Amino acid sequence: MVKVSTPADAHYGLEDLLLAAGELLGEEISSRTVRLYATQGLIDRPGKAGRSAVYGHRHLLQLVLVRALARRGLSLSAIAPLCALDDVELEQQLEQLDGVGAAATAPSSLASSSALDYLRDLQSSEDSTADDLSASTDLPASAAASIHLSGSAASLASRLGKAQPFSRMLGMLSDPLSSQVRAERPSSGSRTGGSSREASSRWRRYTLAPGIEVHVRESVSLPPAGPRREQWLNSLLARFKQLIHDPSG
Amino acid sequence: MTLPHLRFRPLRPAVASDGPSRLDLLLTITTPSAPTVPDHGRQQRPPLNLALVIDRSGSMSGTKLSYARKAARFLAGELTSRDRLAIVTFDNDVKVVVPSTPVADPQPFINAINTIHSGSCTALFDGWLVGATQVAEHLDPTHMNRVLLLSDGQANEGLTDHAQIAAKVAGLTRRGISTSAFGLGVDFDEDLMGAMAAAGDGTLAHIETPSQLADLYASELQGLATTCGRRVSVGLRARHGATVLDLLNDLKSTSAGNHQLPNLRAGQEINVGLQLELPAWSPNQEILSVRLAWDAPGNSERLSLVEVLRLPVLASEDLDQLDTDAEVAEQLALLAANRERRRVIEELDRGDHSTASTSLMHMRDSLMSMPGSVTISRELDLLNQKLLLLKSDPKLSRKRLRRESLRSNTTVWESNDDQA
Repeated sequence: MVKVSTPADAHYGLEDLLLAAGELLGEEISSRTVRLYATQGLIDRPGKAGRSAVYGHRHLLQLVLVRALARRGLSLSAIAPLCALDDVELEQQLEQLDGVGAAATAPSSLASSSALDYLRDLQSSEDSTADDLSASTDLPASAAASIHLSGSAASLASRLGKAQPFSRMLGMLSDPLSSQVRAERPSSGSRTGGSSREASSRWRRYTLAPGIEVHVRESVSLPPAGPRREQWLNSLLARFKQLIHDPSG
Repeated sequence: MTLPHLRFRPLRPAVASDGPSRLDLLLTITTPSAPTVPDHGRQQRPPLNLALVIDRSGSMSGTKLSYARKAARFLAGELTSRDRLAIVTFDNDVKVVVPSTPVADPQPFINAINTIHSGSCTALFDGWLVGATQVAEHLDPTHMNRVLLLSDGQANEGLTDHAQIAAKVAGLTRRGISTSAFGLGVDFDEDLMGAMAAAGDGTLAHIETPSQLADLYASELQGLATTCGRRVSVGLRARHGATVLDLLNDLKSTSAGNHQLPNLRAGQEINVGLQLELPAWSPNQEILSVRLAWDAPGNSERLSLVEVLRLPVLASEDLDQLDTDAEVAEQLALLAANRERRRVIEELDRGDHSTASTSLMHMRDSLMSMPGSVTISRELDLLNQKLLLLKSDPKLSRKRLRRESLRSNTTVWESNDDQA
């Protein structure tokens, strides 16, 4: 999730960094904390744009990692060597965390959508094991057949196929919404908001960070604040991650 | 939302200032009961997404399968249109009797359940896999997603290795689907069922008579309805040169070096026993910080709480004069007895019944020397039973020992008959 909310070339001010890290960690981060960590070398010195500090992807990774580990009781001196790792390794460290830090890298919506993939993998390894063991069992066939017995989620997933594992996250999104996100993707870079073909479809614009906007059709009703909205946002984030990774998906 | 709280309960309420000391400590995690609103309990619980996986191998024929059908009908009757249920059977073949469907009307489920008849071998893992897939297809993180596996036998078809099966079950737990394992009768594989329930973050049950099945399902539904925390982990950080010598519960480690606890259920308590070693201690110095983390149903982020332990310091000789906390001593003794049971099982597996017997007698004697509370006398009863069974039915004795040993780190169902 960390890489999603900040593409590697993202730049933003202190406030944006605090906001992004705060959301990932589920705790409020103060600007003092960030400055303290910077003077202690736990996060890199920010860049400068005029008189204000500019932060990027790496700063966010470092900040989230330090906070997540510190909350687990590690001392800053134990954390310091980890902060010097390169971005990929920082991300790996974050992914390995179990806990609030892990909520940043593996929200439950992501974990959920992978359950089916996981079981399919087990299923296929079962197939080969069963084949090796005996010719008499027709288990794999019957087990596989059972998957097709059930509802639309499975058939959707099987239509999407293995080549696009993240596509199964579609199951987490309502169909109309996901296809809308999809349809808007190619033009999202150039769209400046405002009108569209239908008079009824007006758009709301949200600026998340300099250069990053989200457009939501006014006819789309947001889930009420609380767990359902959290889940909805997570699924959108997961979808966004997929689009960044694999624009054809 | 119901939040757990964490208490430190030291055996002696101080540590030594003038030299090293040992600290026996109980962490008690209490999840308060949800406020009782009559008749609303059912609406308040999260929706359930369940797959019931039933062994229909040859050994299940007759009474067992008839009770299994009866209990499945009961389960379908207890669910509502907010819940989903799939029913899967396995022998050497796996069959989806009812694919995952909302339980708007239990009748179609009941009709399908009545068609379940016994077959031949026990492809337990494949049955689990198909049941799990049924749940996964409709997985919703705000629901309770669980596979209920009922078996009376040993896995003898397909994947049968315990460690491998447990690892696969654990992989699914991390992805939001838990597994409960219910062993029925006297021939099921208690090690496998225990490993699956522990890895599955679910309930382990041993049912000796099939008539207990309906009670078990009722309790499982109740448990799912009152679960406030899943994938619970506890992280321990000893400070300032203190070290954790022992964790009596023998909890499984998580990938991040924390320890896995059973689910948090409203109105229940989890006790974790610790032994620490401390150098000469200064006043107000932190001894230990404990971080509890869990997934809450309907909450997309992991929740956590941190508590820090500090204790007064005393000269060593004054420390020895302090009274111990009787309740803490009792809980620590129970945890130690659960661990001892694992050793007895190893002795039994070596065929060394006389050593196993002696070990059980030692356990009994040491519990006899403790203040005789109700809890202690119940534990003594359990140990006496095992001693007697060791002569008459060692296989059953081992089964029960295994179940009791897992009480330290897994949700273990106890029937009302056991408690009486």
